This record gives sequence, C-alpha cells and structure tokens, in this order.
Amino acid sequence: MNPLVPIIGKISKIVDETPDTKTFHVTTSNGKPFTPLPGQLAMVSLPAVGEAMFSISSQGDDHLEFSIKKVGMLTEALHDAEVGQEIGVRGPYGNGFPLDFCKGKDMLFIGGGIGLAPLRSLINYCVANREDFGNLQVIYGARSPADLCFKEELFETWPKVRDMRVDVTVDKGDENWQGNVGFVPAFLEQLNPSPEGKVTVTCGPPIMIKFVLQSLAKMNYQPDNIITTLEMRMKCGVGKCGRCNIGSCYICLDGPVFTLTQLNQLPNEY
Amino acid sequence: MKGIKKSQLSNFLQQVSAKYSLYVPAQVDGVTRFQKYSSEREPFLTANTQLSPKELFFPQTEQLYCYETHKQEVKVEELAASSEPQVLFGVRPCDMQAIGVLDDVFLGKGYEDVYYRAKRANTLIIALACSQAEATCFCDSMGVDPAFAPQADLMMYETEDGYLIEALSDQGKDFLQEFSSALEELRSEKPQAPACELKAETDGLVEKLQKMFEHSVWAELSRKCINCGTCTYLCPTCHCFDIESKTRGGKEVKFRCWDSCMYKEYTLMAGGHNPRPTKKERVRQRFLHKLQYMPERYGKWGCVGCGRCIDKCPVNLDITKVIRELREVEA
Repeated sequence: MNPLVPIIGKISKIVDETPDTKTFHVTTSNGKPFTPLPGQLAMVSLPAVGEAMFSISSQGDDHLEFSIKKVGMLTEALHDAEVGQEIGVRGPYGNGFPLDFCKGKDMLFIGGGIGLAPLRSLINYCVANREDFGNLQVIYGARSPADLCFKEELFETWPKVRDMRVDVTVDKGDENWQGNVGFVPAFLEQLNPSPEGKVTVTCGPPIMIKFVLQSLAKMNYQPDNIITTLEMRMKCGVGKCGRCNIGSCYICLDGPVFTLTQLNQLPNEY
Repeated sequence: MKGIKKSQLSNFLQQVSAKYSLYVPAQVDGVTRFQKYSSEREPFLTANTQLSPKELFFPQTEQLYCYETHKQEVKVEELAASSEPQVLFGVRPCDMQAIGVLDDVFLGKGYEDVYYRAKRANTLIIALACSQAEATCFCDSMGVDPAFAPQADLMMYETEDGYLIEALSDQGKDFLQEFSSALEELRSEKPQAPACELKAETDGLVEKLQKMFEHSVWAELSRKCINCGTCTYLCPTCHCFDIESKTRGGKEVKFRCWDSCMYKEYTLMAGGHNPRPTKKERVRQRFLHKLQYMPERYGKWGCVGCGRCIDKCPVNLDITKVIRELREVEA
C-alpha cells in the first residue's frame, strides 16, 4: 500500500453552507473511501490542480464529508466542481479525537466559522452514540448569519437531540437575525457553562481560540480537559515531507488533535 | 587483512560494475558527487563529495504516479518504484550516519516510503574511512567515528599500498565472497582515525534548547541568513519535499522534489496564515530541527558534522559557531 497515491472517489452531493463554504460528499464504487475516526484528516485532490489536507467533517454509511471554504487555488477549483466530478482522496491521517477519554463525560463544543467543520465529526459521533456521552452543548459563532455553516444541524437536527443545546452568535446581525450578537469568547462567558465533568473541544480562527482559551481559564476549565485541533500546511500526510513539524511532533501523525496541556508543551508556532 | 591494491582498484570496480549498478564518488562538470561508474571515470577518493549520496535514495525529483483527467473523470496509474540492485562505493562515515537518519524518517514511525525503500533495500554500501579531516569537518563532535561506519555493509580503509576491506553485514560477507578473486592479502595496518580540528560542544545541548524557543538570540543568529536554502539541499539528512504536477506532455505526472524550510512558501497556508513568516522562525526551525527535534523524535542528531553547509553557505553561517553561541547565552 503506497500512502502517497490517492484512491479515486466521486463527488456525490454538494451542500452550499455559506457564500464561501460548501460541503462535499465523496463516495467510491465500494462505498466510502475508508472509515475515519472523528477528527481525522484526509488529502483531497483534483490531480491537475493540487492536493491539500482537510478535516473530515462527517461521514455516512457510504460517503465521507468535507466542508471546504474557498481560500486558494484548489478550494476554488473544488467550488467550481459539480456532482459527478471524480477526485482523489487518501487517508485517514492523524490521531483523531480521544473518544475513550470523552466517553461518559459532558461535551462542550466551541466553534468559530469554518472551525466547526472538524468539531462536527465528533458532534455527529456523539449524536450517533448518544448513550455514551453526558450532556452535549455547542457554542458556535460566525461573522454574520449568512456565514453560519451547517444551519440545518444547528437549528433543526441538534437542538432536538436529547440533552443537547446549541447556542449561536454572530459578530454582526442582519434584519432577520433574532439571536445573540457578539464574539464567541464573550458569548461563552455570558453563557458560563460549568467546567464540572466536562470535556471542551474548540476550533476556529487563531484569534478566537486565543480568547476562548483565556475565557476558559477564567472560568476554571483545566488544560487536561480542553482539546483543540491544529492546522498546518501538509504535503505527504505521513510524517516525511517535514512541513507540519512543530517541535518533535508532526501534526499529520501526532496531531491534529491535542489537549491544551500537550499544546502548552509544544513551541508556539502554528 | 584482505584488500585491493591501488593498482587493482579499477579492475575491481569494473568487475563490480559488470554485475551491479555501481556508484562511485567522481568529479563531473566541476562538482563532486556519486556517479555511475565507468572505466573512464576516475573515482574521487581524496575528500568527501560536495553533494551527498542522499540523492541515490531520495532523488532531487522523483515521479510518484501518473494521472489522466477527462471532463469529470480522473484516472490514476501507480508507477513501480525502481529496484535495480546497486552498490555505493566510498561512502564516508558521516554520510553513512546520515543515511541511517533518512532510514528512520522514511522507513519508521508507522509509514514506509515505498520509493525510498525500493532503492535502499536494493543497495549495498561500501563505506570508506576518512584518513584526514577537512577544515569544515566536525563529525566526531556529532557522535560519528570518522574511521568507522557501523551501519555500512562493508568498511574500507585506505593505506599506502591499497584499500583494506572488511564485511560488517551478512550482505557484505556475501559480497566479499562473490568478489574474493579480486582481493588479496595486504600487509598494511588500519590507519588511525583523524581528529577533526573543528569542534561543536553538544553535551546538554538538547536540554538547553528545549528552553530557548522564545530566546532573542534567534533574531541575532538569523540576521545574515539570506534564506537561499543551499544548506538544506547540501545537507545529507535534510529530507523535506514538495509534491507537484508536471502538467505538460501526454500523460501527466505527480512528482516530488526537494523542498526547503528556508522558504516562506514552505509553510504558507491558503488563506495567508504562515506559522513561520520571517527568516528568524525559519532559521530557528532549521537549527532546532537538527539539534533538538530530531534527537527528541529519533534519538539521534539531525546533523552529522559533514561540514557541507559551512563550506558552501554564501554568508558563512557556520553551524558550529551557532552551537557555540547557543551554549554561551543564558537560556
């Protein structure tokens, strides 16, 4: 098995999430390309354009989902693609979220923008294995109501799940927005969920993560119970090409998921 | 001890090259590097090569797979990793140590690189002990014995009348057996290991560097670096690569090529974020990777003291001076 050669899959469905984010369902003639753990990564390629690492934002029985924001050459080409387009996929890569550590505990997810994509794989895992987890709470923010990803899950699916609540905020509302307006860290402090028995998983823009971590510290959350997932440029995905190296870790192998305790031991270079 | 008389060396090399793809150090177009042996090509054995032998296992560019795209269709065709049996003659102990580092990277930690493995598994290495140290050599500071390469298949020592040769691995023993007719008993003794004049004091360095990531010394050390990347291409252990496409011609090809942590684009992400935006972070990455991260991850230095980067750096950024400065400043 050569880990650098992709399997060819097909885009079976495209969901418009926001003006610049789409979710792509990818399947092969044998069903899903592979079965990842929540939080694992995959290399997605349009061979003539390029290849990049993405978190797998969810999976079904026969497909993987990638929620991709348009930011560069490959992602623009993916946004131009239509259902039926064949694409390369290889993986799964990385450690994924520590499921055994999370089981039996209350889960708090704090996401910003496209940062909800990697969290979604774990949220949907918790929903599918509801009895394995305590209460579930999602705190999510985006720049504007139009920029909220996964609206159907945020407003329809997840709030109906037993003992699950979803709190959404936007930086700037519009005429129809009835929800909270404000940044995620301030919203988090206002909601003030208790750290008792809780594992917190956060992902978002670096600036949001920075202030969320400060807020969590203020609210007495312990670094062992705070988990985040990192992003670095990658080429190989298997710890050889060197570019996702932070300290003695390779994010593609040893990450992308780290507890805050682990993160505090790594050089601050991500 | 058995060996090859100097007058018989080309005869021996011809015999080997008749059976194997033989690579020897040679000077071609003003550059010394490992080249396919031919009888017109005099081996260059007076000093180490300017380019390291890493290119024989990890070529500067290497094809990975072919692909074809037509409308929505994509076809991928794997390329067989090459596997011609080859012999490397005259690898110096520092470069043999470096091949051991590359083995750990490409063959270890859960994933085997099939392209590297195909070449490495099919290669027999005859190392050559150094009998003198160049001004830029400091391998003995990095745990390398300049007169012995334990990871090689065979070890060779230059003496007045010839090259003593001994097998270190089973494959090496078989090889000696195979070419026993070309060997004769030499009377000379193994020469003494040369001492490197250039030194780097590495005791306690990893532990000290673990506390120095945020240190102001990195701004000072990186000041004169022009991020040209020469050090990374010449380094026998540097292994970073990029994966790109060749989009011209009939069948399109994905290939990998050497890359360098000295370049801004190396870590630049789509969307504009760059974790190592200036040369300070990039120079720090290069030295910490060699002197802290590799020892932590693989239990060995990422620098083998070959001195190529010192010899060719256009601004004379000398890793032994860097180590000295890192030792002298308060952590």
